[in-house]
Amino acid sequence: MSTSDFDREWRLGELFDAAMLARIGPPLAELLGADLAILDRDGRALWGMPAPDATREALILELEPAGFLASAAARPPQLRSAARMFTALLRAEARYRMASALHLEAVTQDFETLKLEHSRLLASEARYRKLSEELEARVAAQVATLEARQQMLYQAEKLASVGQLAAGMAHEINNPLGFVSSNLGSFKLYLDKFAALHARLAEGEAAWQSLDLDFVIEDGAELLADCANGLARIGRIVADLKSFSNVDRPPTERANLNACLEHAVSVASSPLPPGVTLKTALHPLPLLACNPGHLNLVFLSLIKNGMQAVQDSGRPGEVSIRSEAAPDGITIRITDTGVGMSPAQQERAFEPFYTTRAIGAGTGLGLSTARNIVLAHRGRIVLDSTPGKGTTVSLFFPGTP
Amino acid sequence: MPEQDNTSLTFKLVYYGPAQSGKTTNLLRLHDILSPELKGEVMIMETKDDRTLFFDLLPLGFRAPSGLLTKLRLFTVPGQVAHDGTRKAVLSRADGLVFVADSDRTQETNNGEAFQSMADNCHRVGLDFEHIPLVVQFNKRDLPNAVPEAEIRERWDAAPWPVRFATALSGNGVEATFEALLRALYRRHVDGLGLATDHRLTEDAFVAGVLGRTLEPQ
Repeated sequence: MSTSDFDREWRLGELFDAAMLARIGPPLAELLGADLAILDRDGRALWGMPAPDATREALILELEPAGFLASAAARPPQLRSAARMFTALLRAEARYRMASALHLEAVTQDFETLKLEHSRLLASEARYRKLSEELEARVAAQVATLEARQQMLYQAEKLASVGQLAAGMAHEINNPLGFVSSNLGSFKLYLDKFAALHARLAEGEAAWQSLDLDFVIEDGAELLADCANGLARIGRIVADLKSFSNVDRPPTERANLNACLEHAVSVASSPLPPGVTLKTALHPLPLLACNPGHLNLVFLSLIKNGMQAVQDSGRPGEVSIRSEAAPDGITIRITDTGVGMSPAQQERAFEPFYTTRAIGAGTGLGLSTARNIVLAHRGRIVLDSTPGKGTTVSLFFPGTP
Repeated sequence: MPEQDNTSLTFKLVYYGPAQSGKTTNLLRLHDILSPELKGEVMIMETKDDRTLFFDLLPLGFRAPSGLLTKLRLFTVPGQVAHDGTRKAVLSRADGLVFVADSDRTQETNNGEAFQSMADNCHRVGLDFEHIPLVVQFNKRDLPNAVPEAEIRERWDAAPWPVRFATALSGNGVEATFEALLRALYRRHVDGLGLATDHRLTEDAFVAGVLGRTLEPQ
């Protein structure tokens, strides 16, 4: 038990100090009309000089004497009364001291509680700060992972498009290659005829006629012209491809979207599927700071979607491509008269890997990738479709002032 | 732990409970009923509208056969919720507890909250609530809407503490409650303080000494 506890055993000397005893002692002695000393519980004098033969009267605070009044001359009843009076004073003082000590203890405890709460708060704040730092690091890691996945998806889509493109191109290039090669075969036969002429030069004009060389010359020229045409076609395809893939262009440049659309139309229409007509209405556009290679991919993807939708409808139809300068940017609409989409399909159209095609026929990344690219250009892409009537995809690119 | 020196041993016992459940009345009645060798006055601290602001204190004492002066200081805590700091300070260093509950059915929530606050405060002031001697008293049995005894017994059946019923105003059950606490207190400290061995004090003698009864000859 510490000396500050309210419920400790209070000593007389503690309740009444020497000064207080010096104030109480004299009047009490005077009232008593005799000698008086005030002793502590061990009999030590706190005030006055007790005579050796003095009578003692106990001062009981609770159960035991807290001290004594001692007097040699006082009559016992008077001394008892003095002790009762002194005890009353002592108890009043003890009550006061206990109450104030208790109050102090309560306040101190409340303060200790507050300090404890405060230190707990500090600890929890530190914990939360650490947690928040960890969270930031985790978010950053997740973002990095997501970006890596996105990049992989984008690469996958690009690969798939390149594959489709390559298949189309192979077909396109094979055609002229076929007839150029066949023409060159024929031409070699014609050269054989000239070789034969050499042996029959003696026959003169008859040999010329017999070898039908007039026709050979005429047809040979035609064959070569065909070959030149075929090679020019191949050259054009390669040029388209080159411009489409942007191999030798910087990622961002100021480009005319009409040129991009024309490239996309050109690539998409070779070959043009049966029953599909392509119409373009391209109006003069301001140059747009963009990545033409990526936008080419978007336009090709949307045009091919449109053509596929027409084919899916089972009737002839058209895909029209319209570009227009708006006050605050560029609007491009690609409209088909194909099957259209149900509201449920429209809702999910931009989700990655959502496809209505048979497995293996589409990656389900076309519109998703298209939207990502458009968003990367700070643009908007909106679907408007009526089942059975067709679909319009509207693109808007804000102009760069 | 109880205060101990060469000649005396002091137990601090605390009456805890919701506001106006009769803690002070318990002390006043004990003062009237008990007649131990030593009995002090009930010290009633300042009250406001008959409510305890600080505490009440009743000192009791007797001498063991060994000459050891055994003192018990019975305190009450202020019941009102607002005085929690004071309650904690009074509760500090307690050796035993009486929880005085109000039997009035409308007071069941107050009883529950006060009991919880007692448990919490014990932990806060470093008392081992799981092992401290504790008696639960349901006071005011004379109320017309008192919760029936059977219902209370059933509810407290699983609890480890003795339950007593009292009407402190008339003194009924007050001594029985205190006796139950004394017995729990004795059993808790008989070995640690050498009560039986060093001081030749049996449980019945201990109880008889505090209550001021004459011990039946063995």
